Amino acid sequence: MIDPLLYEQFRDIGRDIYLGGLTSSHGGNLSVRIGNRIVIKRRGAQLGRLKPEDLVVTRLDGRDSGITRASSELIVHRAVYLQTSALAIAHCHPRTAVALSLSRDEIIPIDNEGSYLLHKVPVVAAEYASGSQEMADLVAQTLRGYKVLVVRGHGAFAIGQTLEEAFHWVSCLEEACDIILETRLLGEEGIEYRRHSAEYGKW
Amino acid sequence: MHGWSGNLLDIDLGTGAVRTLALGREVLREFLGGRGLGARLLWDQVGPQVDPLSAANVLIFATGPLTATGAPTTNRFSVSTRSPLTETILDANSGGQWGVFLKRAGYDALVVRGQAARPAWIEIAGEDVRLHDAAELWGQTVSATTAALEGGAPRRSVLCIGPAGENRVRLAAIMNDGTRALGRGGAGAVMGSKRLKAITVSGSRRNVPADPERFRFLVYEIGKMLRANPMTSQALPEFGTNVLMNVVNVIGALPVRNFQESQFAAAERLSGEWLAEHILVGRKACWACPIACTRQTRTARAAGEGPEYETVWAFGPQCGIDDLETIAEANYLCNDLGLDTISAGSTIACAMELTERGLLAGDLRFGRADFLLGMLEAMAHRRGLGDELAEGSRRLAAAHGAPELSMSVKGLEMPAYDPRGMQGQGLLYATSNRGACHMRGNMLGPEVLALPRLLDRFAVQGKAGIVAIHQNEAAAFDCLVVCRFLEMAVGAEHLARLCNAVTGAALQADDLMRVGERVWNLERLYNLRAGFTAADDTLPRRLLEEPVRAGPSAGHTVHLAPMLEEYYEFRGWDAAGVPGPAQIEKLGLAPLVAAADGAPQPAQSPQTALSKERR
Repeated sequence: MIDPLLYEQFRDIGRDIYLGGLTSSHGGNLSVRIGNRIVIKRRGAQLGRLKPEDLVVTRLDGRDSGITRASSELIVHRAVYLQTSALAIAHCHPRTAVALSLSRDEIIPIDNEGSYLLHKVPVVAAEYASGSQEMADLVAQTLRGYKVLVVRGHGAFAIGQTLEEAFHWVSCLEEACDIILETRLLGEEGIEYRRHSAEYGKW
Repeated sequence: MHGWSGNLLDIDLGTGAVRTLALGREVLREFLGGRGLGARLLWDQVGPQVDPLSAANVLIFATGPLTATGAPTTNRFSVSTRSPLTETILDANSGGQWGVFLKRAGYDALVVRGQAARPAWIEIAGEDVRLHDAAELWGQTVSATTAALEGGAPRRSVLCIGPAGENRVRLAAIMNDGTRALGRGGAGAVMGSKRLKAITVSGSRRNVPADPERFRFLVYEIGKMLRANPMTSQALPEFGTNVLMNVVNVIGALPVRNFQESQFAAAERLSGEWLAEHILVGRKACWACPIACTRQTRTARAAGEGPEYETVWAFGPQCGIDDLETIAEANYLCNDLGLDTISAGSTIACAMELTERGLLAGDLRFGRADFLLGMLEAMAHRRGLGDELAEGSRRLAAAHGAPELSMSVKGLEMPAYDPRGMQGQGLLYATSNRGACHMRGNMLGPEVLALPRLLDRFAVQGKAGIVAIHQNEAAAFDCLVVCRFLEMAVGAEHLARLCNAVTGAALQADDLMRVGERVWNLERLYNLRAGFTAADDTLPRRLLEEPVRAGPSAGHTVHLAPMLEEYYEFRGWDAAGVPGPAQIEKLGLAPLVAAADGAPQPAQSPQTALSKERR
């Protein structure tokens, strides 16, 4: 039985991700870990219009029928919960972050907030960038040391203790990526304002 | 030394033998130091049959890999032992500078075993270790003992017990640097049972980071986070921990009169703001701490350090007392007698309710501030009624036929948060390995202070995972032995990287969390081996059955059962709260469990905590 308070978090964060332009109408997904179960968005449900019946409960070990209705990215979510301390996952397709992931192996924010909170965001890549065990393990292993990453050409995965926290990291990532893009478009020479900024690449 | 010297100093007070042993590299990697190293050593050395106050118990003082590096709050150290108050595994940690000095003396840990024939004190000056007669110090207060032993050249730091420890009061603390406390669970009584009055340390070895440039960057980043966080940059420096008094009272989670109510009408006059305005004369910091939460205060009759929030609560609202000056003086006295203020105050509150209910003779009733100081003296010296209170609230309440009036879990008195107004805190108390505790992952952060995010404090579903994660993180921080307030500003991602810069290791944030989880499970296994069961993961009946009568938490009890079920599932434990084989294997604890079960071990097992003697 899903607590109405938990449903409200899915509904509100899902709506905010969609309205924030961080994903397409049916893209992206959210989940939380409750004990040894995962509550995850239903496959094909619109993230911005989640209803209580759009949430699917499945065991962490996947041994139940919940997998028939769960998001196709369940395999990634499960790997992340099994290999990290995450209690919530937000996955979406922020367009500037995805664009930057096509030309770099890591995204290093240059704005204050992004530097402060993220330091560096890894970009990972695999032949099958959706729903593969290879991708699931790569994402999970990377999130052991980072709170958000970008799968090249696909989208971002962020973790947190709550959905709100995971949403914060993808939102912060996209803002940082927008600023990188806009400074590139301006084409002006940057002025470094951060001490130890060279160290961010080693984060 | 890059994080660890690899040296453990082992002193047997019964034989006078002093040995330096090598700590296994694998053990340091898996348990890091502090609480984790203490639990690992205790697992081998103190079995479930050991009476905590017998010569067979040990005291393990441990530093962490970050200790004495100069990174924020890396001054702390811990003590691990089997608790005479709860009979669970126990660790307590303290700030000040004694831990820094122990590290500089060249030791990651110190084990004290056996029992001296006569009162003794230990002098550690690097490799020069001596045992001295303590006949003239026995019976002295903490301040007198510290004054007698500190100073000299090279400068040394003093750790000691007061009369409470000497008299094996189960609430006795070990004190260091005069006013810092290894407070909870009665480690002071264990030290007293060994007739060990004090340990002084001095040394000059430096803990030098393996990557100094990276270390400087991380210290800078952590400093930024501390500055940006209003708790660590404003609230704690300006008002001390007692900044919480008004915050917790306003939401109706302040336990009053032995948890009978959850708001105190006079809270404002006991608050951090009031304290700052009326009795504060200065503030002080532990070594390498930019927060400086320690209060230096003066009343009309005395001066000293403190009180902290928990102490103001324990002698204030919990006892129905609204006189801040008397509460501050009770704090000074506890420091000098070597008493844990939380357990002392809450045991007095228990006695007050017993008196109010006609189960205890006398006038020790709620609100009687005039009895406070005298009762603390009586407890420390085991005089009259004080002798009964010296046993702690669980034994006191049981002896008077009302065990339900002890506001404790596993025998450890609960701290200053009524879990009926903070459901996650209730689960935290119920499952804490050393008994009810707010230092093993305080849910005050997520349920009240929005650290890292604000949760609905009355919600139940999903709380178990958050409690478990906070417990694991707290355990990991306790292995590094850094201050809990650092956790308000930074998490495992910063601390893992800092640890790498110091030691040269390659920990990910989740590797650090895994260390915490390993320690939590090992402590759990220790308690299970000692006879504790799921039935001990509970709360006083009052909190489960009596709804809060008024205020913002009115109508609430703690919904423990569903949270506990979710918690066991989350941790990979069975319905009886026992870690499953897969969980034990995952955490690398299988060889320890097998060894405890009597299975043969390989001669050169990597799990061997201690190897050959160094000298």
